[in-house]
Amino acid sequence: MRRISRRSFVQAGAMTAGALGSVSLAPGTWLAFAGPASEKGYFETQFGITDSVCRRLLEAALSKGGDFADLYFEHTISNYLGLEDGEVNRASTDVDLGVGIRTVRGDQVGYAFTQDLTEKSMLAAASVAATIADSAAGSCAPQFVKVQTGNYYPVKTLFAAVPVSTKLPVVQSVNDKIFSKSKLVTKVSCTFHDQQKRILVVTSDGHKGEDLLPRSFLYATAVGEKDGRKETAGWNLGGRRDFSYYTEDLVDRLVSEVISRLLQAFEAVQAPAGEMPVVLAPGVTGILLHEAIGHGMEADFNRKKVSTYSTMIGKKVAEPFVTIIDDGTNEKQVGSINIDDEGVPSQRTVLVDQGILATYLHDRISAKHYKVKPTGNGRRESYRYYPLPRMRNTYMLNGPATPDEVIRKAGNGIYVEDVANGQVKIGEGDFAFYVSRGRMIENGRLTAPIKDMNIMGNGPKMLLNVTMVANDLKMSEGGAGACGKYGQAVPVSFGLPTILVNSMTVGGVRRQGAQS
Amino acid sequence: MKKDMLDLCAWVIEQARKSGANGSRVRVSRNRLVEIGYRERKPETIKEATSQSLALQLFVDGRFSWQSTADLRKSALAEFICSAVATTRLIAKDEHRSLPDPKYYQGRAAIDLKMRDTEYESWTPEKRHQVAKALESASLEAGGQAVISVEASSHDTYSEQAFMASNGCEGYQETTVYVLVAEMTARDEGDRRPAGYDYAVSRYVKSLPDAEAVGRRAAQRTLAMRGGRKIKTETLPVIVENRDVPRLLNGLINAMSGPNVQQKRSFLADKKGQKIASDILTIQDDPHIVAGLGSALYDNEGMATRPRTFIEQGVLRDFYIDWYYSRKLGCEPTIGSPTNLIIPAGTRSVEDIMKELGRGILVNEFIGGNSNSTTGDFSIGIGGFLFENGQRTQTIAEMNIADNHLKFWSKLVEAANDPWPHQPWRTPSLVFRDVVVSGL
Repeated sequence: MRRISRRSFVQAGAMTAGALGSVSLAPGTWLAFAGPASEKGYFETQFGITDSVCRRLLEAALSKGGDFADLYFEHTISNYLGLEDGEVNRASTDVDLGVGIRTVRGDQVGYAFTQDLTEKSMLAAASVAATIADSAAGSCAPQFVKVQTGNYYPVKTLFAAVPVSTKLPVVQSVNDKIFSKSKLVTKVSCTFHDQQKRILVVTSDGHKGEDLLPRSFLYATAVGEKDGRKETAGWNLGGRRDFSYYTEDLVDRLVSEVISRLLQAFEAVQAPAGEMPVVLAPGVTGILLHEAIGHGMEADFNRKKVSTYSTMIGKKVAEPFVTIIDDGTNEKQVGSINIDDEGVPSQRTVLVDQGILATYLHDRISAKHYKVKPTGNGRRESYRYYPLPRMRNTYMLNGPATPDEVIRKAGNGIYVEDVANGQVKIGEGDFAFYVSRGRMIENGRLTAPIKDMNIMGNGPKMLLNVTMVANDLKMSEGGAGACGKYGQAVPVSFGLPTILVNSMTVGGVRRQGAQS
Repeated sequence: MKKDMLDLCAWVIEQARKSGANGSRVRVSRNRLVEIGYRERKPETIKEATSQSLALQLFVDGRFSWQSTADLRKSALAEFICSAVATTRLIAKDEHRSLPDPKYYQGRAAIDLKMRDTEYESWTPEKRHQVAKALESASLEAGGQAVISVEASSHDTYSEQAFMASNGCEGYQETTVYVLVAEMTARDEGDRRPAGYDYAVSRYVKSLPDAEAVGRRAAQRTLAMRGGRKIKTETLPVIVENRDVPRLLNGLINAMSGPNVQQKRSFLADKKGQKIASDILTIQDDPHIVAGLGSALYDNEGMATRPRTFIEQGVLRDFYIDWYYSRKLGCEPTIGSPTNLIIPAGTRSVEDIMKELGRGILVNEFIGGNSNSTTGDFSIGIGGFLFENGQRTQTIAEMNIADNHLKFWSKLVEAANDPWPHQPWRTPSLVFRDVVVSGL
């Protein structure tokens, strides 16, 4: 029943502030103005969603009062191509269209959605959302001002304009190249996913933001057999990218990532069990931060006091060389957004500033509660859900050490290279992540490969245990990363330099008396 | 709406045929959902919506695609279908793709599954608020001074689904589901704020348990989780609580799926007919339980369902195989995924078993973890209790179990008498001997 529990989880693949009281809450303070929104947007052109329609809907949503209301229009087209047993022999398309209407009164939310964009149906939804309040009618701003945003994932060509016949050879070539690279390979599957999501957010306090979000990834899995042993390895590359990303060089890189992982799997020895030093390699291993601190910093959990971090703002939580960021502005990362799903411009938010816990991740409701500016973290899976504070791309900045120094310092322990998924218990701060690939560290050197082990720790304790940070920050290059919370999945990404955590519980099968 | 929905299915099939499809299969769904959440003795969320969707599978000159859309306007649909058929022509042929042989549509069980609550219309907004309030109050009272926060909610869904295949299969089903959830966070030592929850799921209002009992249990479960810590690595008997068994079992079931078997990603691929677990493990699939959460008279492809045994006293009898993978593997289809999964219950309660075992671990939650379907290796975090002389003596956290499924399920020694009815996998608590639980 993960859907109904507040516990949160993340999958890397497709398979899995502070400053209290310092900021004015007057409407408009957190948005940059760019003059009146005069040119017609996508939803007006395609579906007749004019400002006057929006105003009538927002007035209906505020017909029983409430602090504010907002509209979230969405039109998403997703495509899939799949290769199995040597040929691209399956394809799929999904079209989603609808509007979600929300009325907010303090921390209370009324929400309704409809897929029928006729005014009658939308007004009916608005009047359902309105039932959260029970006072005199509120009013909607007379004009909507366009929200000015960055442009973190410019799209040259829409996926809708790329025919299947153009995508198909890319998927096919992954198969052919993987088979040609290794005689051990017995099966290859490869999928290509692309999506274009258009959104329009209109708020009763007079803001209007529109965005086009591309997302795509190429995912390959290979199965191999050697001396009766079978192993699987998979990898994906993608992000908020258009089709121009998927060049032959990119395919070659994906193929070599998959093959090297498959070959390494055949060499793996049993993973150790017990407490020991853990070094994380740079990249997708940033899932560690997502679980150990990111979720616990989402402000809804803190305003309800259910997060282990809810009393720690301004306190020292890590060494001074530890700075952790949640950022919606990284170029083409899958967690990047130009505006969030409440119409707030995206930004780079510092969670831990040189060891000091700095800022929670806010949506509009929590920002008002804490009397701070929203941080652009109000996100949702689709128009079927109201927004919640959610992460974007979460990573740690570089530290002073070199990767070699970090591994040497660890002495005896393990080195984590790939992480498949993770989970956290917000209140306890206990987290876990699953290592699909790593190595033993013996006498300060990387030795035999290991795989398939869960690693556990406690967020605040782990942060204090980060004793070295190297200078080689790398962001994940995948497009399939998704974070789940209250049953809603949103795309996220991660990054990490090489770091040393002095001690975590490694869940292998081989008991390590000497190292525990 | 039954006639409208079936008429739409027939219209879509005809459009697909006109556009050049040799065969097609369509499913039209309508859902109404209502959710009411309470916190601090007031409604925190009220959500309500009616939605619809159409899923279409196309067979065009030996090629296959699937399509779905929420835009059911006929003008938009006609264009959508036409372009989908054209796209399907661009991909490779697959000789194994076809609609099922119509003989598999025959023999639908003559059972009324009673999947729709006749009292749904009388489940008013007032009653929803009442039940959410009762959940919250009971949790707050049972939690007392330890409560940091309680969230309680009532969810219900009414769904209609029409199904049609162009080679002579159709169906229509109405279902209702009600869900009650209460979750509490409690004060504990230092910065730990343990959270626990309880829930209930039913197809009928009248068979929902008392909301106050669910609320109280949520509080009791949370209070019990205070003081969690790691203990030393030890080899112990382990009891996995009924509701958590599916998370562990999933690694085994996943390796029994047609795609994993055919794609050589299953450690069970060559184990059919062999012993893979102890005698205690029997896994049945029963799609015909009246009002069951996973019940269905026909599967996603329209094939008539029937009860089957997939694992019998530890022997692997069958895989979950749909029509397509049955053609690829050259075997009879079963069903693509579990409906109501049953592990037969034993005769003793968890408490009685704990008394006999003396010292062991009772697992009541899993965290993180995963399972490699190709090799059978798994590793997963656990939380729960150390018990001694049948009594819980220490809450445990941050500990782990790792093994290979082929070894692990042979350690199963008993199933308790408590199958959990609030999910489609109706698993009882399971008892394993000699499990390495790693911690300090």
